Amino acid sequence: MSVGKYIKDVWGAVRSLGRGMKRTLYYFTHHKEIITQQYPDNRETLNLPERFKGEVVMPHDEKNEHRCTGCQACELACPNGTIKVVTRFDMIDGKKKKAIDKLVYHLELCTMCNLCIEACPSDAIKMAQTFEHSVFDRNKLTKILNNPGSKIMDGVE
Amino acid sequence: MWSFSNISDNIHDWLSANFNATWTLIIEMVIAGTLVIGLFAMLGLILVIMERKVSAWMQIRLGPNRVGPKGMLQSMADTIKLMVKEGMTPNGADKIMFNLAPFVAMIVAMLLLAPIAFAENFQLWDLNIGVLYITAVSSIMVISILMAGWASNNKYSLLGAMRSGAQIVSYELSAGLSILAIIVLTGSLQVSEIIESQRNGWWLFKGHIPAIIAFVIFIIAVTAETNRAPFDLAEAESELTAGFHTEYSGMKFALFFLAEYVNVFIVCGLGATIFLGGWMPLHIGNWTGFNNAMDYIPSSLWFFGKTFFLIFVIMWFRWSFPRLRIDQLLNLEWKYLLPISMVNLLLVTLMAIMGWHF
Amino acid sequence: MNGSSIIFYLVAALTLVCAVLSVSTRHIFRAAIYLLFTLIGIAGIYFWLDYQFIAAVQIVVYVGGIVVLIIFSIFLTQQAGEKLAKQKIGRKIFSALAVFCAFALTMLQIYQHDFVETSAPHIGNTVKDIGGQMLSTGENGYALPFEVVSMLLLAAMIGCIVIALRSKPEPK
Ligand code: SF4
Ligand code: SF4
Repeated sequence: MSVGKYIKDVWGAVRSLGRGMKRTLYYFTHHKEIITQQYPDNRETLNLPERFKGEVVMPHDEKNEHRCTGCQACELACPNGTIKVVTRFDMIDGKKKKAIDKLVYHLELCTMCNLCIEACPSDAIKMAQTFEHSVFDRNKLTKILNNPGSKIMDGVE
Repeated sequence: MWSFSNISDNIHDWLSANFNATWTLIIEMVIAGTLVIGLFAMLGLILVIMERKVSAWMQIRLGPNRVGPKGMLQSMADTIKLMVKEGMTPNGADKIMFNLAPFVAMIVAMLLLAPIAFAENFQLWDLNIGVLYITAVSSIMVISILMAGWASNNKYSLLGAMRSGAQIVSYELSAGLSILAIIVLTGSLQVSEIIESQRNGWWLFKGHIPAIIAFVIFIIAVTAETNRAPFDLAEAESELTAGFHTEYSGMKFALFFLAEYVNVFIVCGLGATIFLGGWMPLHIGNWTGFNNAMDYIPSSLWFFGKTFFLIFVIMWFRWSFPRLRIDQLLNLEWKYLLPISMVNLLLVTLMAIMGWHF
Repeated sequence: MNGSSIIFYLVAALTLVCAVLSVSTRHIFRAAIYLLFTLIGIAGIYFWLDYQFIAAVQIVVYVGGIVVLIIFSIFLTQQAGEKLAKQKIGRKIFSALAVFCAFALTMLQIYQHDFVETSAPHIGNTVKDIGGQMLSTGENGYALPFEVVSMLLLAAMIGCIVIALRSKPEPK
């Protein structure tokens, strides 16, 4: 090891350590950067970061219509079998058409990995920011995402 | 917390006038002991809350904020919790050694306080070899860790103890050499003389770049010697649960915990004494006006201010850097710190001989 | 009996008790720790005599160096919590006798020796005096032994480096 490299090593180490310390000192002196949420106290004014994920939901519009085609891509994408798509075949204009009967979602299995949302070709599901999921009965965590009596939106294939 | 100057002399005079020599000695010992224990309790309370707040703010958190105003009484609550907890001794442990180890740690920490000058004329024992005394006695510290690690009869504890043994023994070298760099300039090991030699400026500024290098090496080495992150391999939570104090609980654990903080205080006090002038106010050469203005700030405040600044720096290290691996740790010491501090010592010696410092 | 002698007797008693314990215990690790306390007690007596430098060196060398080394070798070779085997009674008696003889010899020497005060000028015990004496080439100076010892240490250090530097055999 040459002396020049040795000195360069030491200098590089000191510089990078200094950079780290500058960052922590910045946080130490800038208290408005603090991200702690004092949760039960500020339940009303909770300020969640936009990428916070709480559960998978399926949005419906006012006509009780959703965008899910029952293609089962989400079921395949899910790493731990959280989603189960139960399909049925509707007769529309004499033609058989695939549609979902139920989209069963096991919240207790979900790791909020977002893979199902990315897999969905028709943007039928998304992540909600709700997180107060505690219940007394485990069965309540098994949810059916499509509303009863809902049907697919027009124009979504 | 104003200057303690002369209070100790007054007490001594009054005691010698009213009692014979033996009783004076005993009473003074009792007073000193009480003060030391009181200081320990205060330090424990203050440093723990300080560490928790500093760590929280550095990690963009809030830290303790429930007990007392802004959470400032949190460490009080922690103390009560630790005191009422059961101090268990595991079945397979070497009982005598297991129970002795925390006390050894504590007693060593107490002994180390003796030569520290807290303010002008306020020092327990101004012995001729003050700084050497601190480096010598602090090497007993490692024994308490080894005792705890062995006596717990637990492999994590043993591994932690061995790591910390290797670590302390090797980092003592560069800590000693960097202290020596300043000793070469002062020409004395006595704490009061070291402080007196900084009447016209602190060594950190008077000693040019070598003093600054020595200071940086000193801070790194003492961080390692007190087993604090990024050198906390001895208790590395993620690998060894808690290292040498895995089996300790309750008050016995608290003693280790307290001894760690007191050691941090002592090495920072030592650093403040050697490099930053101890209780000596900030003096610059012979700017009499400026120096006089600085003298209005009491000396105890100067000492505690500097010490707490250094403690803050060590905490800052802890919450900025990730833990080193054992080979990196030993590389850092033997391949970087030790050669650099040796060369640095030569430079300082040259400087002292040629009289290039102020 | 004044305060100072009380302290002396306390420290001396600690030293002696720990010394006896260190040879009589059957836990090897405890023996090392008791040895440590004995050495600290001796350092305490040096402090009591006001020979602070020697006391500090005693602690640095024995406690920080040798005892740590001993403890490390115990760590690497022994099982925690295991007792050493009991010794035969004959051996015990013999070693007790040997210790007693050595003790008697030392005490005899001390009592027979009449300590005369030297007429040589008193040399202080501060670090400055010790250092000056160590490097002085004049009468009663220790420059030569000091240099010889440092040569020895240098040789030891170079030996260590040579051993540590021995490169690994090339992998085939
Ligand atoms: S977020 Fe991940 S785990 Fe949860 S349902 Fe979607 S794919 Fe499955
Ligand atoms: S939610 Fe999306 S991916 Fe899943 S079945 Fe419906 S359309 Fe397909």
